[in-house]
Amino acid sequence: MKVVEEYSQLLEIASRTGGGASALGDKDTVYMVVHANKIIGKNILPGVEIDAVETAEGIDAVITVTKGTIIEKPVHMCFGHLGHEGKQVIKSKMVIEDGARAEFLAHCIFPNAVEFLHAMEGEIQIGENASFAYREVHVHGREGKIKVRPKSKVVVGGNSSYIGDFTLVEGRVGDLDIEIEVEARGAHSHVDIRSKIYGKYDDICKIKDVILLNGEGSSALVKARVVLKDESKGSFLGLVDGAAAGARGHVDCTEVVQGRAVAEASPVVRASHPEAEVTHEAAIGRIADEKIEGLMAKGLSEEEAIEVIVSGLLR
Amino acid sequence: MIWGENKLKESLLYVDDITVMREEKEVLKDVSIKVLPGEITGILGRNGAGKSSLAYAVMGLPNYKPKKGAMYFRGQDITNWGITERARAGITLAWQHPARYEGISVAEYLKISSRKEIDVRKMEEALNLVQLESSYLSRKVDKSLSGGERKRIELASVYLMNSQLTILDEPDSGVDLLAMADIISLFRKMTENGRSVLIITHREDVASQCDRSYLMCSGEIVLEGTAEAVRRYFLSQCIPCPEHKDETGETQE
Repeated sequence: MKVVEEYSQLLEIASRTGGGASALGDKDTVYMVVHANKIIGKNILPGVEIDAVETAEGIDAVITVTKGTIIEKPVHMCFGHLGHEGKQVIKSKMVIEDGARAEFLAHCIFPNAVEFLHAMEGEIQIGENASFAYREVHVHGREGKIKVRPKSKVVVGGNSSYIGDFTLVEGRVGDLDIEIEVEARGAHSHVDIRSKIYGKYDDICKIKDVILLNGEGSSALVKARVVLKDESKGSFLGLVDGAAAGARGHVDCTEVVQGRAVAEASPVVRASHPEAEVTHEAAIGRIADEKIEGLMAKGLSEEEAIEVIVSGLLR
Repeated sequence: MIWGENKLKESLLYVDDITVMREEKEVLKDVSIKVLPGEITGILGRNGAGKSSLAYAVMGLPNYKPKKGAMYFRGQDITNWGITERARAGITLAWQHPARYEGISVAEYLKISSRKEIDVRKMEEALNLVQLESSYLSRKVDKSLSGGERKRIELASVYLMNSQLTILDEPDSGVDLLAMADIISLFRKMTENGRSVLIITHREDVASQCDRSYLMCSGEIVLEGTAEAVRRYFLSQCIPCPEHKDETGETQE
């Protein structure tokens, strides 16, 4: 397949994932498009530095948003592979310098993958008075069992915020094992981690979110919405450790189970400082009859009602 | 049975002698009611009288399937129909405690109700009837809404459904900021063009606004008559009834 075809196919699929992905390819948008281990498109604007090299299995990249830079339009990262089998390993270090503000949208596109490994090893450093959002949306095919292994470590500076959003609702999940560890190191730093996963067939969905509230007055919200059907399995571990005065954290997990799927949730809250407060809520089970019957009384079939409820939950 | 056939012919809904069991207890015993086209029919009774059970049985909830008796809607036997079939045939229910839906906006919820394309102007008009601003269209039908707000949206939703029969289960609860006159005006709008409303209520002032009423007690219909006659009987016999006093001797709300 020619590079131009790969590029246009990836962009076409990415444009369906929302978040203004149609801006991918625009001259006034920062973006990078990677197919397998090839960088097939890139646009850089002042205030953003991307130092990326192709490796045997993927790419290694250092991305910096320089001090005080405010990026109005989201930065788009498209990582994909159009083949049936293979491997893509993305290693990245992202540095958001003091006073910088940016939102990154990562489109991970594997529409034909059957025997495939997509691994991401990320390190994110956020300086003081900065804000960074990293939203990752996956598009997988309906066949096969792609292995997805995103691992990241994030350190958030004082008066800064980090939003991490992971969505995998289109196509099969495959075998997902996501791990994120965030240290809210600076005073009054804020962390917001959200995961939305829709497991089907015999998919495996493992989520592990660990947040360390080490900064005075730091705060965190960890929210997971997982829908499992058929024979899929899911487990969620959300740990928030309040280790500083005034630290506030909350873990909120809802897992909906249909068919013969199995769900497990472990919201772990730990307060290792007497002035910290960490709370949690978790609900696992089938969709309540009252919700389904409420929509059926408006003329929806049971299947349509479930579809509406699930689509709302996974937004 | 000539008498029964006449009732069936003239009624939009005819509930014929149904008994419903829940956990080995009869929650409805030999209940018969009729709802006529273009009328507001009230079901009045104290808490636990079986009013909501009757609403659920008419809506077709699986756990409220009659052990005996039958239900007819527009002359058709709907006793074995499911919820969706009944809703598509023209019956809907505004729940006493409507469910909440994470991620679904009010606008989407109202569109679901209409089952077809609906313009913003109509949705705004429906919200206006329950005294909510159009800014609510972008709100979510989740726990961010108060009980009263959610209830009003449910009323707007069933209004937009334009069903032949709308069952309102305790429609005034939680919406105390709506004046009684506004509530009644909304119910009357729901009866335009021959449509009918069945109101479930424990308030005699709401029931008194109906065209006809039934009084329920312990799962049975104990009185049928004009709204005023039923209201007077309720005030004189049901409110002071010793069977409805709690352990402190106070009459239950």
